[in-house]
Amino acid sequence: MSDILQAIKNRNPGEKEFHHAVQEVIDSIQPVLDRNPEYRQAAILERITEPERVIMFRVPWVDDQGQAHLNRGYRVQMNSALGPYKGGLRFHPSVNLSIFKSLAFEQTFKNALTSLPLGGGKGGSDFQPRGKSDAEVMRFCQSFMSELFRYIGPDIDVPAGDVGVGAREIGYLFGQYKRLCKEFSGVLTGKGINWGGSLVRREATGYGVGYFLAELLSQHGQSIDGKTVAISGYGNVGTYVVEKINELGGKVVTIADEYGYVCDPDGIKGEKLQCMADLWCVYRKSAEDYATQFNCEWIQGRRPWEVPCDVAIPTAMENELDLNAAKTLVSNGCMAVVEAANMPCTHDAVQYFRENGILFAPGKAANAGGVAVSGLEMTQNSIRLSWTREEVDNRLKMIMGNIHRTCLEAAEMVGAPGNYVVGANVAGFMKVADAMLQQGLV
Amino acid sequence: MSDILDIIKDRDPGEKEFHQAVKKVLESVQPVLERNPEYRQTAILERITEPERVIMFRVPWMDDQGQIHVNRGYKIGMNSAIGPYKGGLRFHPSVNLSIIKLLAFEQIFKNALTTLGMGGGSGGSDFEPKGKSDNEVMRFCQSFMAELFRHIGPNTDITGGDIGVGAREIGYLFGTYKKLSNEFTGVLTGKGLGWGGSFIRPEATGYGNVYFAAEMLDTQNDTLEGKTCLVSGAGNVAQFTVEKLIELGGKVVTLSDSSGYIYDEEGIDQGKLEFVKRLKNIRRGRIREYIDKYSEAVYTEVDPSLNYNPLWNHKAECAFPSATQNEINEKDAQNLINNGVTLVSEGANMPSTPEAIDIFLDSKLLYAPGKASNAGGVAVSGLEMAQNSMRLNWSREEVDNRFKMIMKSIHQSCLDAAAEYGVPGNYMVGANIAGFVKVVNAMLDQGLV
Repeated sequence: MSDILQAIKNRNPGEKEFHHAVQEVIDSIQPVLDRNPEYRQAAILERITEPERVIMFRVPWVDDQGQAHLNRGYRVQMNSALGPYKGGLRFHPSVNLSIFKSLAFEQTFKNALTSLPLGGGKGGSDFQPRGKSDAEVMRFCQSFMSELFRYIGPDIDVPAGDVGVGAREIGYLFGQYKRLCKEFSGVLTGKGINWGGSLVRREATGYGVGYFLAELLSQHGQSIDGKTVAISGYGNVGTYVVEKINELGGKVVTIADEYGYVCDPDGIKGEKLQCMADLWCVYRKSAEDYATQFNCEWIQGRRPWEVPCDVAIPTAMENELDLNAAKTLVSNGCMAVVEAANMPCTHDAVQYFRENGILFAPGKAANAGGVAVSGLEMTQNSIRLSWTREEVDNRLKMIMGNIHRTCLEAAEMVGAPGNYVVGANVAGFMKVADAMLQQGLV
Repeated sequence: MSDILDIIKDRDPGEKEFHQAVKKVLESVQPVLERNPEYRQTAILERITEPERVIMFRVPWMDDQGQIHVNRGYKIGMNSAIGPYKGGLRFHPSVNLSIIKLLAFEQIFKNALTTLGMGGGSGGSDFEPKGKSDNEVMRFCQSFMAELFRHIGPNTDITGGDIGVGAREIGYLFGTYKKLSNEFTGVLTGKGLGWGGSFIRPEATGYGNVYFAAEMLDTQNDTLEGKTCLVSGAGNVAQFTVEKLIELGGKVVTLSDSSGYIYDEEGIDQGKLEFVKRLKNIRRGRIREYIDKYSEAVYTEVDPSLNYNPLWNHKAECAFPSATQNEINEKDAQNLINNGVTLVSEGANMPSTPEAIDIFLDSKLLYAPGKASNAGGVAVSGLEMAQNSMRLNWSREEVDNRFKMIMKSIHQSCLDAAAEYGVPGNYMVGANIAGFVKVVNAMLDQGLV
């Protein structure tokens, strides 16, 4: 196993993010490797860590002043054992091959968990959309798609948005794909609702977290009804987490941003929830506005994890919940932590939760609702019909229930009952690895 | 220009080989950049140094023992301004993205010089064919092509061989391409004569180098007739260099391999050349065996203590380094001049050190850099593509005549470019500039793509 890591480092010198992602997965699936010697004979680890295909391309575009610029486009098609490649596009100056490979690698297992036929991929460009005019962004997207179109397709590779790629970019990209391929198909997800998008796409991650939490609690004879919940964001994900928790009888008492947090002991409900929904997504205002408007306490410069709660849901960003926060949560009687953001809890915080018997749901399982509804968008495009809100929502609920059960069963199987981190890693890996075994050496 | 180097280094830290190649090319075309400020507005340098397309892919294969291995395949479409991508495939453990980019970058300009419609590309894998069974090599080639086939095609990207990719590999690759794409087309060059290959392909580099030399002499109303010639090496390039020199009336007095060299004052005639071909191509022997057969010749063993190569220290008029990189240093260059050599034409890749080149250029002898004088190989690959496209094979004479014309054109473009930029007779500057200008002008014409 350490040979594999060494071989990967030799083959990809300097790709730190990718090495890190591979190491994490390999560490967590050791029991599976020990039990399945056929994985070694079939070189599953060597193959699963080498992208099936990487495409890098030149993206020239002209700014509004007539100056030509050049960016680099990427698409990493990591694994297609379970379905067409699926994963977001990120436009941000920080991107590079290593980052895309690590994201595509993680996406492979997350997608496998959803139970939908989705392979793993990721892509994007070192282009910065911020500060560019709409026309510049459009020209960039058109140039980007002029090369990408030949590698993607509704049955080949279906990208979505990510950092820097929202509804506007998806629109421009889709238009150019359609023009070049002369076909109107579901090649991108996150589309506008009138031209192939799915209902509940926006709500998907937040609702999914709510459903996962409900499953997690019911496993222990509990429910959301009457629970007090702390969350840390107030954007898209946070808003719909609150909505779902309210619906299921819980009460969310905090929202936060990078400057501090609001404590609202009465719970965020009714017009207050509407205000929260608009605060960032419409007006781009600080969470402090909420405190002013509804006479709540604004605690400057601190994180919301010091507020006593039954459940904590980090919804904001990486590493926002550290060991100290974990200790405070535990001493305040918190019983469950569910990651709505990507990797918001530090490694030692997760460790501490486990040692103290806290129910912990990792993001790769709990926040898979987003990609799950992308998968449902693909299904609706394929059958040329749009489902109602209820129909999509029911399927999302079912998928989150499946993910929960799959994690639980896999954890049980490798002798770590109740460990959702191990369960999620093992279940995703085995699903992909077994499909690769069955499909032979490709 | 230094900004663009910084941009490239920031974007691809660690790609040393590629940075070096870009630096060298950009230095050599500095006068062109100064004359054409519009290159900046259109971001020509940024674009020409960024591959249009890079594809990397997983190549799993099974060895004869049933063990599975994974290699990585590469294909770079560097520039298609003047034709479909064209370049070699290299199978060697040293292969990485930086090296393939460097090869693809240099190929752009070399291909542009040939006057044929060929863009620049390159590709390969970190697979080592040496020590593998035919079956293992076949399985690897099949797995490699199972991904590559979707990215190449006779009007998209045509690949030839390079290190580790010879007739055997081209055969396996072609077979799989044909099977997967369901078409028999000229997607690879270096094919067997019976199934789409071209005459003169093996001879091309050696013949081309001599044609180029003849053109250089022609500018001074001179010919190769009666000229005493020094040739290094004894492989494919050297053998066909000697063959063409004999045909044009030259007298070749040396050949070499890595152990030493022979000096035959009476000249190597066709009969002696046949002996060398058998010795090297069939018996895989050493060049020293030449003196066992022809006792009038003298064999000199390599002496590592010398700081020069005695092969270049004989009375002669012309020299054709056809062996390896850096085989002519400063001292050798001076020896050549002292012995009356007035023409040096490179058959190998970069056989002269930068210091040696400076001495040649200062002394005003006729000096042909490899990128121009050994472009015959890729030129005949281009003619193989032409024959495949029209579904007819030219006779040996027809290929040879067209080939001669191409070498003549390459010579003329170098001469013209050198004169236009104020250094008449400098083939080095001419070759660098002529290829670059052709590609850049095509890019300007075709807009921002």
